[in-house]
Amino acid sequence: MSSIDQATSSAAPSAAAPSDATALPILNEDWLSVAIGLAIFGLALGTLAGPDLLGWAVSTSVWTDPGTALGTVSKAYSGLGGFSAFVITYLVLLAVLTGGVALLKANPVRFALAFTAVFWIAYASWVIGSNAYLAAVTPADLQKFGIDWSLKLTNEGGFLVALIAGLVIANVFPAFAERIKEAIRPELYVKIAIVILGGFLAVNAAGKLSLATSVLWRGTAAIVEAYLIYWSVVYFVARKWFGFTREYAVPLASGISICGVAAAIATGGAIRARPAVAVLVSSLVVVFAVVEVLVLPFLAQQFLSHEPLVAAAWIGLAIKTDGAAVAGGGITESLILAKNAAEGVVYQPGWILGTTATVKVFIDIFIGIWAFILGWIWTHHIDARPDGERARPIEIWHRFPKFILGFIVTFGIGLALALAAPAAVTAKLPAAVGEANTFRVIFFILTFFSIGVLSNFRKLWAEGIGKLAAVYVVTLFGFVIWVGLLISWLFFAGVTPPLAG
Amino acid sequence: MSETDLKSEIQTPVHEPLLPIEKKLVAWSLGSGLVLLTILILLTRVSWGG
Repeated sequence: MSSIDQATSSAAPSAAAPSDATALPILNEDWLSVAIGLAIFGLALGTLAGPDLLGWAVSTSVWTDPGTALGTVSKAYSGLGGFSAFVITYLVLLAVLTGGVALLKANPVRFALAFTAVFWIAYASWVIGSNAYLAAVTPADLQKFGIDWSLKLTNEGGFLVALIAGLVIANVFPAFAERIKEAIRPELYVKIAIVILGGFLAVNAAGKLSLATSVLWRGTAAIVEAYLIYWSVVYFVARKWFGFTREYAVPLASGISICGVAAAIATGGAIRARPAVAVLVSSLVVVFAVVEVLVLPFLAQQFLSHEPLVAAAWIGLAIKTDGAAVAGGGITESLILAKNAAEGVVYQPGWILGTTATVKVFIDIFIGIWAFILGWIWTHHIDARPDGERARPIEIWHRFPKFILGFIVTFGIGLALALAAPAAVTAKLPAAVGEANTFRVIFFILTFFSIGVLSNFRKLWAEGIGKLAAVYVVTLFGFVIWVGLLISWLFFAGVTPPLAG
Repeated sequence: MSETDLKSEIQTPVHEPLLPIEKKLVAWSLGSGLVLLTILILLTRVSWGG
């Protein structure tokens, strides 16, 4: 079952329940991401009390000699060697995720086999992306590695390599893509990453509470922009200019305006659209997100490097789907930090990614409320049936993205520890959160690869998606991107991350 | 529903005129969005001077 199929089932709570109650999964993907994310964050915090429980995880350095590419995240485990760390990381994630998807009633054996291929290919892409010819940025780096040129993608260019690897598999080896689809779960991977990200952002925010509060406040503009401005314009264009029916226009407007897959499926369900329509729109959203991730971070680096938080908010508003947006924020951060570093301005890392994530999370929070509002309008005014079921307020909770609760918990714990713990503990906090962050990066890599594998352009074209894509092109490139840039500018211009050190 | 059904639905959608309630939804969303954004911008300027 693809991630989009899973989203369909989890975002449509009012759909008829299966008659066999035993077939229901024990938990859904949202709660699973909360459990895994919190477990990783909790284990990482073990370092504060003494034992280093996650230091064995694999990390990658920029390399010219492949033998030096891999290592352990903690020096305490350096004796393991890089390749052993990689294998241990793979085995631990395999065990945890296989157990998790078994609770989702997926086939654990099929998942384990597919995940093995996904993890090895995705991580290999990451290692390739860390090659000095792709990743080295500053003249000092070039000198250090003894090379005279580099694409300067930073080591997070590995995300793009993983995305391209996924695209190649989807479009050149579709049979293989079909065989590994059980482990192609971008929504699960990115939700785990976002839960972990909360703690990392909190530790950054604690040092600059005033700036963090300002970013949170300015992030509220994204909610207004996505739901009230983007949605209404895209819906009107789809209905009036392209002549789409309401069943197509609602998920399309939600997919382009709000948050891709989850919003298209939740609002499609709310107006009783057929699931196939929402799934089709979701596929389109993923494809456009791929194109945006490949293009927008480089435009941001080129034109917005002196307004880093404008770039961050813009990426969060323009790129749909959580995975692509937050990971796109990561790439944007690397590119912009690298460009500024080359000019002698060294910003503290985490703020650009944090702003993109804040914008995205704020938008996500209101998906349930928007779906309820649309459901209420449809069941009372547009598709009112005499004996019909009406939209109920409890659906707001059903459609609330639960992984955001995990994000809030890790953010709260991280902030409390950074502000209130004894100095001996806070001194260890960045290293502890750094270990959790290593897993955040791994889940981002899996997200990028999975998004690529879901993007089979030929299949989408064969489904006659061209006219839907035309709405996307017209509204995204003619309206959403520019309005997003203007509003990001109005709210974030002149606000810069703190300088490092 | 087959892929062919979806394809023909997308290419030649059934004509559904915009209902007054849809026009109202679009107008109210856009109008309240612009008003709220203006208020947020003013509050941001007052609070942070940015």
